[in-house]
Amino acid sequence: MVSNAKELAEKRLARLMAAMNLEEPDKVPLAGVGGDIVPAYSGLSMYEYCYDSEKALKAMEKFLKDFPCDWPFAASVSGLDGRVFNVAFSEFPDISINLTFITGPMHDALGDKYYRYPGREISEDSSPQFIGGSFMEADEYDKLIEDPVKFIAETVLPRACRNLETPRKAMATMVRLGTEISKFNAMMMQTVGLMQELGYPAMALGGAYAPLDLIGDFLRGVENLLLDIRRYPDKVKAATEALVEPIMNYALAHKNIGATLAFIPLHLNEYLSPKLYKEFYWPTLKEVIVRLVNEGFKVMVFFEGRHDAHLETILELPKGWGVAYFEKTDVVKAKEVLKGHTCVMGGIPMGLIVGGTPAQIDEYVKNLLEKVKPGGGFILAPGVGTAPRETPVENIKALIEAVEKYG
Amino acid sequence: MLDEILKSIVEMEEEEAIKKAKEYLDGGGDPQKLLEVCRDAMGEVGARFEKGEYFLSELILGGEIFKQIMEFTLPKIKSGSVKKIGKIVLGTVKEDVHNIGKDIFKVFAEASGFEVIDIGIDTPEEKFVEAVKEHKPDIVGMSCLITAGVTSMKKTVDKLKEAGLRDSIKIIIGGGRVDESVKEFTGADAWADDAAKGVRLCKQLIGVEG
Repeated sequence: MVSNAKELAEKRLARLMAAMNLEEPDKVPLAGVGGDIVPAYSGLSMYEYCYDSEKALKAMEKFLKDFPCDWPFAASVSGLDGRVFNVAFSEFPDISINLTFITGPMHDALGDKYYRYPGREISEDSSPQFIGGSFMEADEYDKLIEDPVKFIAETVLPRACRNLETPRKAMATMVRLGTEISKFNAMMMQTVGLMQELGYPAMALGGAYAPLDLIGDFLRGVENLLLDIRRYPDKVKAATEALVEPIMNYALAHKNIGATLAFIPLHLNEYLSPKLYKEFYWPTLKEVIVRLVNEGFKVMVFFEGRHDAHLETILELPKGWGVAYFEKTDVVKAKEVLKGHTCVMGGIPMGLIVGGTPAQIDEYVKNLLEKVKPGGGFILAPGVGTAPRETPVENIKALIEAVEKYG
Repeated sequence: MLDEILKSIVEMEEEEAIKKAKEYLDGGGDPQKLLEVCRDAMGEVGARFEKGEYFLSELILGGEIFKQIMEFTLPKIKSGSVKKIGKIVLGTVKEDVHNIGKDIFKVFAEASGFEVIDIGIDTPEEKFVEAVKEHKPDIVGMSCLITAGVTSMKKTVDKLKEAGLRDSIKIIIGGGRVDESVKEFTGADAWADDAAKGVRLCKQLIGVEG
């Protein structure tokens, strides 16, 4: 038995690190579920969860106490990805790292068109959602290539954010944004404190992004970008290359806060054929990952959707580079391909947790772990961490118990 | 000529396909025949996707080419003369505001000869019920991207049951996060996480080849 929180946190961290270092931990680590169920479990609306940090912290505490895991990766923050802002501020490392998550109040301050927040554009019970959009014309690639930070900060963001439309609006907006950043950082400090109390490892998480995703998610919109790849292949490629430096500046700024793990969520990987992936997506993403590894980071990449067609490319990275977190790719197959090279994470379909029974979950985890546990280098996690608010809590319990039994 | 158009669409030669389609019509070609060829081409794009030869980007680009050709072809075809194989009421479910999956499916369903009534995003259960009453579709298609959409799908199926409409329709759910267990959970008849499979299953649901 573990006597106190500190020991428990150390034990959990050792478990995670062993997996990341491709060793066999004492038990397969579990990265738990999070998302809408966290506020729902405390009777909070999504609106309250996104806008009232005191209530949100309490809800998080209650959830993490009742549903323990090794790494509450999905249960800790309620913001949406803000990488375009990281790039816009990439010349100012102290500011840049604060915009990885755009919270509800930051969204209000910016008046952006990227996100939809509960109690604002959508109902109070809805999850916050990223929509993206098209805020750059096809004939503007040259400007993006020439000076990506200038173009994004001075041209794209004033189009994408109502409250940055004019310099005088932008002045007030930046002051407001700064205030919200302070509040968010204060909340994150409290979250870290809470984690330590509850025996969770406090891991400062860094971040980076795939250059092509930045263009698809924040500049051109996914559909436009896919057409651009066919219509103006050279421009698109040059734009991804131009974005590497600002993304690296943002990513490396996390050294100052002691982060050793950089998280990169991918989006367009599943959209592309191996030919397009290898030409437009992977070269610059690979460069970002390799440079981070050379700077002493471990990298965790979330491969959204099915990554089966591109699995082998991961082997081009240096051995032990980090964690490949898969959504729908078969982790058994992935582990076979990547064993001894890359830590594999994922394996639990959210549909099973939402719609299955405790017995089915027990059976599923048993079968899966029999295949992926031997040899270590595996972190069990839901394919997507966000559990809907009606997720049966007995199913979350069943997942935790199954890992206790078979992990 | 028609063969070349088909090939251009399937091979994703956007400019070529559109240019040739225009030439064909300008030269007195039959718009109905052009429509059929475009549909065959989309069928082939879908088939290649299901074989793993094509990816989402080809589905989207194929859809884009199809839409562009239809813009100048459909006005030349007498309304009512295009035979529909079935009717689908389609929407993204409540509390989900994403449209990309729904829109890709819509193009492919239309290209397969379905009439699609698109009732939008963040669609309340009642709006599905109303649309079914009004349009009497063969199939209801529900889309979601975020996991919260899964429970909205179940509620929508339940509402359709309550309204006594469940037996008159087939229900297909689609989107990145649906799978067999989500299908079971929601009580739908079929699921697909890509548009090509979705359209193939829709055909099966109404007993057409596919």
